[in-house]
Amino acid sequence: MLAAVDAGSLRFGDIGAAIGIALTYFTIIYLTGLGGLFSERSGIVNIGLEGMMIIGTVTGSWGAHHFTLPPPEGLGWGLPWGPIMGLLIGMAAGAAFASIHALATVTFRVDHIVSGVVINLVAVGIARFLSTIFFGQATQSDPGQPALNPINIPLLSRIPWGLGGAFQQLSPMVVVAVLLVFPVWFALYRTRWGLRLRSCGENPEAARSLGVRVAPLRYEGVLLSGALAGLSGAFLAVEVTNAWQEGETQGLGFIALAALILSNWDPIRLMLAAFIFGFAQAIPLRLMDAPVLRLIPDPFVRMTPYIVTIVVLAGFVGKVRPPAAAGRAYEGGTT
Amino acid sequence: MATAPISLPTETARERPEWLDKLAGQALAILIAVVIALGLGSLIILGYGESPLTVYGAIFQFGFGTKDGFGYVLTEATPLIFSALAVAVCFKAGMFNIGVEGQYLVGMVTASWAALKLDFLPGPLLMWVVILFGMLGGIAFALVPAILKVRTGAHEVVTTIMMNGIAISLVAWALAGPLKFTTEAGGHTPNLRTDPFPPNARIPDLGHLFGIRSSVHLSWLFVGALVTAAIIWFVLKRSRLGYEGRAVGASAGSARAGGISIGSVQLRLFILSGALAGLVGMQQLLGDKNYLPIGYEAALGFTGIAVAFLGQNSAAGIVAAAIVWGVLARGETAVQIKTDVPREFVIILQGILIISVVVTYQLAKRRLLSRQLRRAATVEDFVDSSASADIEGMAQEDR
Repeated sequence: MLAAVDAGSLRFGDIGAAIGIALTYFTIIYLTGLGGLFSERSGIVNIGLEGMMIIGTVTGSWGAHHFTLPPPEGLGWGLPWGPIMGLLIGMAAGAAFASIHALATVTFRVDHIVSGVVINLVAVGIARFLSTIFFGQATQSDPGQPALNPINIPLLSRIPWGLGGAFQQLSPMVVVAVLLVFPVWFALYRTRWGLRLRSCGENPEAARSLGVRVAPLRYEGVLLSGALAGLSGAFLAVEVTNAWQEGETQGLGFIALAALILSNWDPIRLMLAAFIFGFAQAIPLRLMDAPVLRLIPDPFVRMTPYIVTIVVLAGFVGKVRPPAAAGRAYEGGTT
Repeated sequence: MATAPISLPTETARERPEWLDKLAGQALAILIAVVIALGLGSLIILGYGESPLTVYGAIFQFGFGTKDGFGYVLTEATPLIFSALAVAVCFKAGMFNIGVEGQYLVGMVTASWAALKLDFLPGPLLMWVVILFGMLGGIAFALVPAILKVRTGAHEVVTTIMMNGIAISLVAWALAGPLKFTTEAGGHTPNLRTDPFPPNARIPDLGHLFGIRSSVHLSWLFVGALVTAAIIWFVLKRSRLGYEGRAVGASAGSARAGGISIGSVQLRLFILSGALAGLVGMQQLLGDKNYLPIGYEAALGFTGIAVAFLGQNSAAGIVAAAIVWGVLARGETAVQIKTDVPREFVIILQGILIISVVVTYQLAKRRLLSRQLRRAATVEDFVDSSASADIEGMAQEDR
């Protein structure tokens, strides 16, 4: 934290710090929300995001621990393999876990909500079980887990009055998450694959009549969803808390779901929603003394994402429209 | 499907009544799911170099072997019966109340408020009032998604998920403010919690009548849960509300055409569901702890969903499933004490069981549907070959 002398700079410094925290939460919410976006755009409702994140946290933490030892001379290329492998393993484990959801909903046509609930329930148990195997205890990992070297964003981190603090000592993954919007947007709206994926979510019967194979695309959507949620969970465990702790996802998977709804299933608007909700998470941590905000008890600040989503869903403000076929069973065989 | 009037089936050789088909299908689905779960569980056990028989035997023996063990199982089952019933009531009408979790947390807060602030009420009256407040809290929290669904069409799944998030913060707020403890328990600083409730708010112990230790906390609430299950069975199967609810769940369009006010049915069932959810926390509050602790995240609402699936949303099935779940929960200790397998194995077993139940039940349902389709096809004696081929095709895809 920057040393603050007078009231003014204290406020700016706090705002900078809050934005920094908000960027971290943004990364978690955005990555998970993108996961939900791919799944739901392909027509599979995914309320199991929280569970997929949980799997990402425990496996990511294990990866970071396990690959801490430097690789043999000449093979490491000087890269921090611990955290990198942690993130990749969390991502792979999330996708593997999501395959249960894909199998249940696409192949066996189980109700998407039922399967999602089960995914969330089962994830807690699997995480505990894996934790006993990885760390010898059920609810947390050992301390001393490495993280990626934090970076300062050029130019932005030089903003005076403490506001630059928001862009100092950030995880490189924050930058990755922000930049991810470009390939995601391109893939969804400018490639044949994206058009087909979206058509499966809007009208699978029509898509199939035009020769699109619906089931494989939906599998891809759900697996991508698990990979992104798993990456998000691994980011939380590897880069933010530097450890696996049971319950560290704190319902962020559901906040990501809320952001996804608010964004109207659009990757660019999702960035905005994720940042706003991320900032709401940061307020109780850094802006508890700010004017006006100090009058609101923390718990009420924490529940704002949920309230906003309910208000929007109820149609009091704005209008959201989910992919037309999301959640509906598709009866057209498994090809 | 053609809607021509259906004459009696011409082919009666292998006719079975539909309900028997359905029941047999459900039983078979559960049986297959249990076999799959025990089978996969055995693989994990073998991986630890233990014998599956030893492990399963230990779980069974801990649950049913001693009076105290069985009492513990029933105690564990009590809140699950309530939360699974809450889920099932909505499910019958095609609604998904994922908000039982939030509703029961809020019910615990309102009940605690009543227990602490209405402590002037004499004798067992206080207990009844506290329970009533728990139900009211659950109802109040269920009303939000219910009204939004009926008035604006906001999907109850998403709104209840959001309400769960709100509930956790509400509990934190209540425990840090209005309900924060005023008298510290002797010695060290207690965790954030409420003051202890007056003794007459407690639900009387049932276990001692059967020689079960009082530390098991088997209370009369278990009997209450059984009675509630019977009432819900009656409501769903024999009352007008239940009939209308099932009609809405089966086909909203037909229900509307039949003169049923869908919104009103959904609202009433959601209120019933919220009231049941409000009872979930009572075992913990009034049977066991006698205060409301913070960080009380037992996920009883979500577990209730699993129990409701396992019990296939029928009242009797739910009671049985809750007891099975209780045996497994008790089994965690058994596995830890008696074997080298970590206790978390049981949670995995529960998970595999619930996934297999969901999938096999779905397959059984589709099998039943395809059989009905085929039967309808033979009854109507299609001349139009393309239509019957269509149905055959659907039936084949279902296999």
